[in-house]
Amino acid sequence: MADIPTLRIEALQVRYGAVEALKGVSIEVHAGEVVTMIGGNGAGKSTLMKAISGLEGAAAGRVMFEGRDITRMPGHQRVALGIAQCPEGRQIFPDQTVRDNLMLGAYHRAASAAQIAADLEAQFAVFPLLRERLHQSAGTMSGGEQQMLAIARALMSRPKLLLLDEPSLGLAPLMVKDIFGVIRQLKQRGITLLLVEQMANQALAVADRGYVLETGNIIMQGGARELRRDPRIRAAYLGEH
Amino acid sequence: MVAILQAVFSGLALGGIYALVALGFNITHSTTKTLNFGQGELLAAGTVIAVSGVMLLAGKGMHGTLDPQDVTLWRYAVSLLISVVVLGLLGVLLYYTAVRPFIGLGGLSWVMSTLGFGIIIQNTALAIWGPSAMVIPSPLGDNVIRIGGAGVLPQEILVVAASVVVMLCLDTVMRKTKIGKAVRAVAHNKNAATLMGINVPAVVVLAFAISSSLAGLAGLLIAPITTASVFMGLSIALKAFSAAIVGGLNNARGCMLGGFLLGLVESMVGLWHAELREISIFMLIILVLVLKPEGLLGTRVAEKV
Repeated sequence: MADIPTLRIEALQVRYGAVEALKGVSIEVHAGEVVTMIGGNGAGKSTLMKAISGLEGAAAGRVMFEGRDITRMPGHQRVALGIAQCPEGRQIFPDQTVRDNLMLGAYHRAASAAQIAADLEAQFAVFPLLRERLHQSAGTMSGGEQQMLAIARALMSRPKLLLLDEPSLGLAPLMVKDIFGVIRQLKQRGITLLLVEQMANQALAVADRGYVLETGNIIMQGGARELRRDPRIRAAYLGEH
Repeated sequence: MVAILQAVFSGLALGGIYALVALGFNITHSTTKTLNFGQGELLAAGTVIAVSGVMLLAGKGMHGTLDPQDVTLWRYAVSLLISVVVLGLLGVLLYYTAVRPFIGLGGLSWVMSTLGFGIIIQNTALAIWGPSAMVIPSPLGDNVIRIGGAGVLPQEILVVAASVVVMLCLDTVMRKTKIGKAVRAVAHNKNAATLMGINVPAVVVLAFAISSSLAGLAGLLIAPITTASVFMGLSIALKAFSAAIVGGLNNARGCMLGGFLLGLVESMVGLWHAELREISIFMLIILVLVLKPEGLLGTRVAEKV
């Protein structure tokens, strides 16, 4: 098992009409790893996430999950396999309560009520504010709280691979700090994570490895520490000149 | 006074019918942002199928005349069930042929295609049943019940009771059950719903099946009060659509409220000046649209940028 990566993407191409958003991307994420994907706006980061979760179809290449080819599998079935995506912009269900949002995260599971209740408790341990807001409409919460809910909702599916798409987007600096604190906790729990971020510095600080995506191609990859020290990365993504 | 009470009862019965069909519009609109403009024709088809069902069960053949003793409650119920199932299947067929090919393409192709689907259904029914109206007596008989001096038909009570029960059930399912919450998730955001592991295409097909079934239910409920015919659907569907607009197309409870409101207005104004019925209804619609464009209980949808 050890040599089969949790996620393996081979020469993946995704097109929107005539536009080639991904031009042959290959990456791997191994069990227990935190891997980050950094890159500027329009590099194709979100497209890659959607292609993994099945929201976007592949024009060529393969998506393998635990050694199984899932390139053509519909998105809802991938959730049952163990892929959970916390989408860009949070996308919680604002007209439903916090509890119902969390329960929708466990929608596909055939677990017992006691098991689900235990998992809810586990989320409250990481996100105590969700317990207080349990019966409130999710739409009434702040952006940062909604992001916490979106992560907890994804965790309710008991994923083997958690995809976090720009979790810090549009959040106040203090909230961003909280979110990265949560990501560190998830890492300590051994959750396999693929993190897409514009905040490259923080993302590389928490990750084991990283890839740099630019206009649909992986242009650099390596250990997070090495990438952080790389002068090209520092200039392009860490705001140093 | 008695006359007003009488008008209230028949208005509620009519309103229940509008509310059921309006709810059907709400269900497909909230899940796909499309409506079945052939809903009226489906309603009529479902009704003539059900009336024929009663005839066959009573051993009268396809073109007989129904006497009151032919329409027993169980024959009526069995035919209702048949009609609801047939219409549910037609709803699925409608979705695959007239809606799905056009979803996400922009434009209004689905308006024409659902209208066209309805016309195909109507003409098929016309070829089988002919244009004349079919009389179906109420399974509860015609003995007028006196409530506060006003005479109420047992069928009117059945219509109100059945529509209210069906609507309460649907409302509860949507708010309290897992599948209902999944349907609401799909209505709100299909991608996010997919990420929850919800089979979005299946939910959408289910929405079309339920929407059409509701039309079939409404048709057979009203048939003993009016008559059944291939042409009975258009005016009901138009009023139901108006009811959905008045109450708020994106709010199920609003659609129900709109249905009852329109039924009551139609019945009350009809008591006073029959020829002002339609005028007052459509003036009410225009008034609501001016004052609250999203409908009485509707919420303004913020378009994503």
